[in-house]
Amino acid sequence: MTDDRLQPNGASSDPDPFGSELVPNDALGGERAEQLAGDDEMVNKTGTTTIGITNEDGVVIATDKRASLGGRFVSNKDVQKVEQIHPTAALTLVGSVGGAQSLIRTLRAETSLYGTRRGDNLSISALATLAGNMMRGGPFFAVNPILGGVDEEGSHVYSIDPAGGVMSDDYTVTGSGMQLAHGTLEGEYDPEMSMDEAVALAARGIQSATERDTGSGNGIFVARITADGVEIEDYDDPAELL
Amino acid sequence: MQGSQQQAYDRGITIFSPDGRLYQVEYAREAVKRGTASVGVRTEDGVVLVADRQTRSPLVEASSVEKLHSVDEHLGIASAGHVADARQLVDLARRRAQMEWLRYDQPLGVEALTKEITDHIQQYTQTGGARPFGVALLVAGVENGEPRLFETDPSGTPYEWSAVAVGGGRDEIQEYLEDNYDDSLSLGDGIGLALEALAVPNDGELDTGGVEISTVDVESETFSTKPPEEVAELVTEHGLAEGGEDE
Repeated sequence: MTDDRLQPNGASSDPDPFGSELVPNDALGGERAEQLAGDDEMVNKTGTTTIGITNEDGVVIATDKRASLGGRFVSNKDVQKVEQIHPTAALTLVGSVGGAQSLIRTLRAETSLYGTRRGDNLSISALATLAGNMMRGGPFFAVNPILGGVDEEGSHVYSIDPAGGVMSDDYTVTGSGMQLAHGTLEGEYDPEMSMDEAVALAARGIQSATERDTGSGNGIFVARITADGVEIEDYDDPAELL
Repeated sequence: MQGSQQQAYDRGITIFSPDGRLYQVEYAREAVKRGTASVGVRTEDGVVLVADRQTRSPLVEASSVEKLHSVDEHLGIASAGHVADARQLVDLARRRAQMEWLRYDQPLGVEALTKEITDHIQQYTQTGGARPFGVALLVAGVENGEPRLFETDPSGTPYEWSAVAVGGGRDEIQEYLEDNYDDSLSLGDGIGLALEALAVPNDGELDTGGVEISTVDVESETFSTKPPEEVAELVTEHGLAEGGEDE
């Protein structure tokens, strides 16, 4: 019942400001995380290229569909690497599949609780801050997702790094194919793009990465995020969207 | 026999009386009535909090009697009842406000803050070995550009108000507010109404050194407390200054 000081590492009985009050039981503690980080090659990784682009109508997020072991063996050819976590936001899975899936479940629960308690949804910047706190102080490790969403302020894309860095941008790319996709996007992005134009550009980015990055391929998932919600579809070939 | 049974019901806070009452919570409400009053008025331009901090002796430093508390840039609290209990709740409020910045990098809403406080108060009406908080708070602030004013009571129930009083003389003050409140008041008018209401139990007079005034302005979204000289001017301006007996 007593209340306590603000502790960075969640020593308080209050909801941990840097992490989550909903951290699952099976979440990885520090030691376990270190041990697993050492066994990197054994962990299913997304390899991955994920792209987020803000546009006039909202945000598009595109990802490839391949999971691999160390980027050298294709362990799954049909992975959905973009998931809705909020009525108007989605997060990509990049890095450790287990870490990313757990992060997504937790953010969904946090978003739902906040919405029902306060009668208003988390803003996208608050969601990004929360996700960054979890990466830094919490049990989620070795992921590098993109958060895309729409709120009263407009369209937002954030990249969130494994140390908890949160950076807002007009468009961003994460994953092993990021340099290839960035090369395609660079100079082509236009803030006045429509959703369809942004989808086509994102598909070209995924296509480039698919051609040359061994960790990316097997088709494309596309999430279209507007003020009305999130629509996710998949295609066998990015060319279907060009 | 009757007497000893009665005593049993008011001894433990977690025990309902046969007619469904929690005596300790009701006694805590009495403790609030024994304190001097605080008044809150919500206007279009912001929220006004005023408090009567009349002291028992002229030798007490008035500034050491704190009834208006800053919680965060955009949030403030007025209290009535046990000052020491209020301080505990105000510190909880301050930590929750900072927690919101740490967790979400955003200012805490007035309604969300009030519910954090009332949830905490409620725990003390259901847990053995402790007593309830003998204090009522007025929580004022700006949320998404809108002024908001809430009350907390010793049962842990939150209420939102246009204008409200807590503490001694509450009923009289509330009646005055009900008769004179108008939702088109300016912030300045709100200060006037709050001071007039606070003076009602004292025959329309206030000791200029025994009043505190704070506002949360919608435009600047800032909680600020008026310096004593300005308080004295405002009290005098509204014709409420006590007839020179202290001069």
